Amino acid sequence: MQRRHFLQLSALGAAPASLGLGSSVWAQAQSTIQFGCPVPMSGAFAANGKFADLGMKLAIEQYGKALNMPLAYTLLDTEGKPATAVRKVQESSQQKGARFFAGGILSSESLAMGKEVEKAGGVFITTAGADELTGKDCNSATFRWSVPTFGAVEQTVRPLIESMPKAKRWYTITPQYVFGDGLLGAAKNIFKEKGVEHVGNSYHSLTEKEFSGYLTNAAAAKPDVLLILNFGAQSSDTLRQAISFGMHKNMTILIAWASGLEQFESLGADLCDGVYFGAQYWHTADTPLNKELVKRTQDKFKHNPNYSLAGSYICTKLLIDAILKAGKTDQKAVIAALEGMKYQGLTGEEEVRKADHQVLKNYYLLKGKAKAKMANKDDYVDVISSGKSFLPVDQTGCKLT
Amino acid sequence: MSIYLLQTINGIGIGMLYFLLAVGLSIVFGLLRFVNFAHGAFYLLGAYFCYQLTRWGMSFWLTLLVAPLAVAALGWLTEKLLLRHVYAQPHEFHILITVGLALVVQELVIVQWGPLGDTVATPDLLQGVVMWGSFVYPKYRLFVIGFTAVLAVLLWWVLEGTRLGSAVRAGSESTEMVSLLGYNVFGIFSLVFALGAGTAALAGVLAAPIRGAEPFMGIEALGVAFVIVVVGGLGSFGGALVGGLLIGIVQSLMSTLWPEGARLMIYIAMAAVLLLRPHGLLGRKT
Repeated sequence: MQRRHFLQLSALGAAPASLGLGSSVWAQAQSTIQFGCPVPMSGAFAANGKFADLGMKLAIEQYGKALNMPLAYTLLDTEGKPATAVRKVQESSQQKGARFFAGGILSSESLAMGKEVEKAGGVFITTAGADELTGKDCNSATFRWSVPTFGAVEQTVRPLIESMPKAKRWYTITPQYVFGDGLLGAAKNIFKEKGVEHVGNSYHSLTEKEFSGYLTNAAAAKPDVLLILNFGAQSSDTLRQAISFGMHKNMTILIAWASGLEQFESLGADLCDGVYFGAQYWHTADTPLNKELVKRTQDKFKHNPNYSLAGSYICTKLLIDAILKAGKTDQKAVIAALEGMKYQGLTGEEEVRKADHQVLKNYYLLKGKAKAKMANKDDYVDVISSGKSFLPVDQTGCKLT
Repeated sequence: MSIYLLQTINGIGIGMLYFLLAVGLSIVFGLLRFVNFAHGAFYLLGAYFCYQLTRWGMSFWLTLLVAPLAVAALGWLTEKLLLRHVYAQPHEFHILITVGLALVVQELVIVQWGPLGDTVATPDLLQGVVMWGSFVYPKYRLFVIGFTAVLAVLLWWVLEGTRLGSAVRAGSESTEMVSLLGYNVFGIFSLVFALGAGTAALAGVLAAPIRGAEPFMGIEALGVAFVIVVVGGLGSFGGALVGGLLIGIVQSLMSTLWPEGARLMIYIAMAAVLLLRPHGLLGRKT
């Protein structure tokens, strides 16, 4: 079964499944450990949300029980809006007794949900990117698995500058919200350090679909590298339109924060060819847990895991492992169990840093390959490099009390 | 060439696509006084039909004809079986039923093609760019400008120079009068609705190689289409053209002048037009 076909069936089944889960959870609230999966299921980032749902489902089904209590979860459609996300988390917490949340695709919604979950006495793990989540806006109940914007730029922009010393003119296209500003700020610091000329930046709104105006600006600036700092469908639209402007022929294109396999599948090999991508996860990573996840996903869904699925899976798994380690579902005990946890993760050795609740893990620089060179249908890219880059705790601005 | 001139040309390209997107909505409202919130769904279907047909091996050029005709046929059926039963109801019913229809179409698209977007390849003939000095512009976008301009002339001729067009224009003034003259008013309604659905689908087909096909593109398109119709004037063909071009050019120029507000400026332009000309640039007082 193709990934796409599976999603077609799961889309049909999603609504009744959620409703059924909701009613049964109410009855079992006292005896079930209830999880929430707050992700966008509608709007521009819905595709990420639908895969995240599969990731949590996989982890919950894998464990089944913890502390002799069955595990269950509810899918919460945040619509990518902070206010909606907070309301859904409140409802889930009050009506269904959910205390453990893994999700949040957008930084803005994750920042809002983290605060809400802390108040509600729960624990929240996210894959969102803004530095603030484990920086100045960190809180005791919020953890983050993904590498934040600082590390994403360090592991993509820096190696690219070093491998192309003659590419001295960079142009950036940035979504104007906390995530985009985080990436842009980190990129500017490297430009300054490396003597690279930042020949221009175009900010755009979070709802933008038409990028030709910004690309016209970029083309007029004659850069050597076009650095795309938006995410999801927006970065696909930007890349698609940049290639229609022929920009891939006279400059290098880098998407600093790509969503990996799901995005490459959507774009197709021809558009990915020769383009650089930064990624949190790639399914060929040679680690025991990743091999296990690939097999599990193949067995269950007949396709390889992508970033949204893998991120949701590992976040849920971390929560369950912490509950098991704590021996109880108390907020403080689970937080204490998570803090400092070291484990063999999807990207290799991973560690939950106690001081800011940031997971220290690898980030990948990938390069799209020609269709003729693909060994299999998911072999869209070569892994150019990978590594860990994180701000020292005293520079993150995080003060956990 | 000045960046502002480049952006103006680019804005014309965006605007012509916007015109095609909005013209059907405007004509349908002009004749039927029917607020069609499912208009974006026809645009969505156009893009996905194009994707599917090209995947099956049909040439893009044939898709340009087949997909809009198929969607127009769906629009005709929808009007006949569903929408005409609520014409006499207040606008709230129109909104409810068309919003519901749009959501059903969107979910069916997800069921059929999945939640991920898909890419439609630019036809070989139109791949690449044209260069005039420092001006670089995709050949495909130039084609869209030319094709849409020809289509605008054709549509104008149909509406202004044919008996059908006369009946449609007269119907937008008084359906009773047209009926008394012996025209099958409901037949005209169905035809116009199909035309509206077909032009939206054509916009979807033309947009597919630029923006791909993804399940939520209909909602975004609907918002833009309403802005253009309001700016140009409800029910006005010329208004849709002027409104589309104005919004496209404003959006493109603002990408240079105030990039972070380019999207916002679409709505500011609409508010400004509403303040200065409440009936739109070419709308009539009713």
